[in-house]
Amino acid sequence: MSFAAGGVSVEAVGVRRAFGPHVVLDRLNLRVAAGEFVAIVGRSGSGKSTLLRLLAGLDQPTAGEVRIDGRPLAGLSPRTRVLFQDGRLLPWLRVGENVALGLDDRRRENAARLLERVGLATRAADYPGVLSGGQRQRVALARALAAEPGFLLFDEPLGSLDALTRVEMQRLVEELWRERPFTGVLITHDVAEAVTLADRVLLLEGGGIRAEWPVPFPRPRATGSPDFARLVEGVLGRVLGRPAQMT
Amino acid sequence: MSRALTPWLLPLVLLLAWQAAGKLGWLSTRVLPTPLEVGRAGVKLTASGELPRHLGVSFARAAAGFVIGTTLGLALGVLTGTSRRAERLLDTSVQMLRTIPHLALIPLVILWFGVGEAAKVFLVAVGVLFPVYLNTYHGFRTVDSGLIEMGRVYALGRWQLFRRVLWPGALPSVLVGVRYALGVMWLTLIVAETIAATSGVGYLAMNAREFLRTDVVVLSILLYALLGKLADGVARLLERRLLPWHPAFVQPIAAAANPDDSVGSEL
Repeated sequence: MSFAAGGVSVEAVGVRRAFGPHVVLDRLNLRVAAGEFVAIVGRSGSGKSTLLRLLAGLDQPTAGEVRIDGRPLAGLSPRTRVLFQDGRLLPWLRVGENVALGLDDRRRENAARLLERVGLATRAADYPGVLSGGQRQRVALARALAAEPGFLLFDEPLGSLDALTRVEMQRLVEELWRERPFTGVLITHDVAEAVTLADRVLLLEGGGIRAEWPVPFPRPRATGSPDFARLVEGVLGRVLGRPAQMT
Repeated sequence: MSRALTPWLLPLVLLLAWQAAGKLGWLSTRVLPTPLEVGRAGVKLTASGELPRHLGVSFARAAAGFVIGTTLGLALGVLTGTSRRAERLLDTSVQMLRTIPHLALIPLVILWFGVGEAAKVFLVAVGVLFPVYLNTYHGFRTVDSGLIEMGRVYALGRWQLFRRVLWPGALPSVLVGVRYALGVMWLTLIVAETIAATSGVGYLAMNAREFLRTDVVVLSILLYALLGKLADGVARLLERRLLPWHPAFVQPIAAAANPDDSVGSEL
């Protein structure tokens, strides 16, 4: 497939976000190279959602700045898309229309192609209400990619899916990311998922990035290996604030 | 088949009992004429052209008032529902006016417009305006904010956001308002026509009362019931047509997989 432009680099420089006296993020620095897939993990309340909204341009930092391809971000970026936790399909539009939402004429044909790619071409004329949770997230994924985003944010998109559907979705996300040159940032509290999908895992804690693990495993990833389990265990131990233990 | 007929069983039994009671003299026809007599009155008035004329007049008043009231209510509701500035400017005033029962305006309306058409149309329009306004406003204000945020991220401009997200999101509530307004429409018309009119179904009933024609009075009441039911049917049809995605109307998966509705024609 031909795409007009590749992934974009994403940076957060000295970002601070306070809500009144409550400081959620402070002096946060972050750099994601173009085409890289990074996961940010953290416990609930660590500011993951706040960071996601800042990176998406849905919210502005109190101080510091977010840069997309080196340019300071002010408001929404036309090349950024978000895969939301709950899909957020429009219930009154058919699946095909949902995928084509907001596409310009040049990208219109992407919709049918991506719907086919996620295996739901036959459901184009259905309303989202009759789809299963996993199917809805596949439609949302197709919609996000139809716009040929340079930067795709994943907001715990698989959190509400059952275990099998989750594994399927993880494979699909990995495949699609390898096919296309977008920059991915996954925000999650699921360490195993982070290690499965990302090139690097970052820990968000106390308002900043506090630790970083490269994930060296070749793709497509086999999640059953002892090395994989050890890395997951190590990250999890750090997230929970106890020393990593080998099992 | 039997399922479709079940709701009509009770009315039928009541009708038969009513006819029998009248025929056997248990019920004075002065108090309540038998259904057959009412039917005969209907046939006679239809043949003379009187009934169609009054029905037509009532219908025209209802429709004119409804269209005016709904249009204004919708416009105001869309305005205050989508713009904080319009909401601050207008909502308090509209909510204040809403607390006045519109039928309390009758004496004033007669002073302003006399007993002509304008008075009835005005009253219906005022009665219809508020339920439509309230539900439209409420509908827009309760559209899922997550979907609005999604729309912004997915590069929808202001008009696209309105057309794709806000309006369809508010529509179920708008239609609740319309349905309620249809009820208000008939109620207002009945009251207005019985108090000050020289034509219309309400006038027909009041005029018949003076001549002790109980059959015509009962006929008029039944006509109102019929018209009300008809309006409700139209509202339901509208809901079905406009909200095909709604869980209340959504078709089973097999029926929804219509080959004519393939994605090609949608894009």
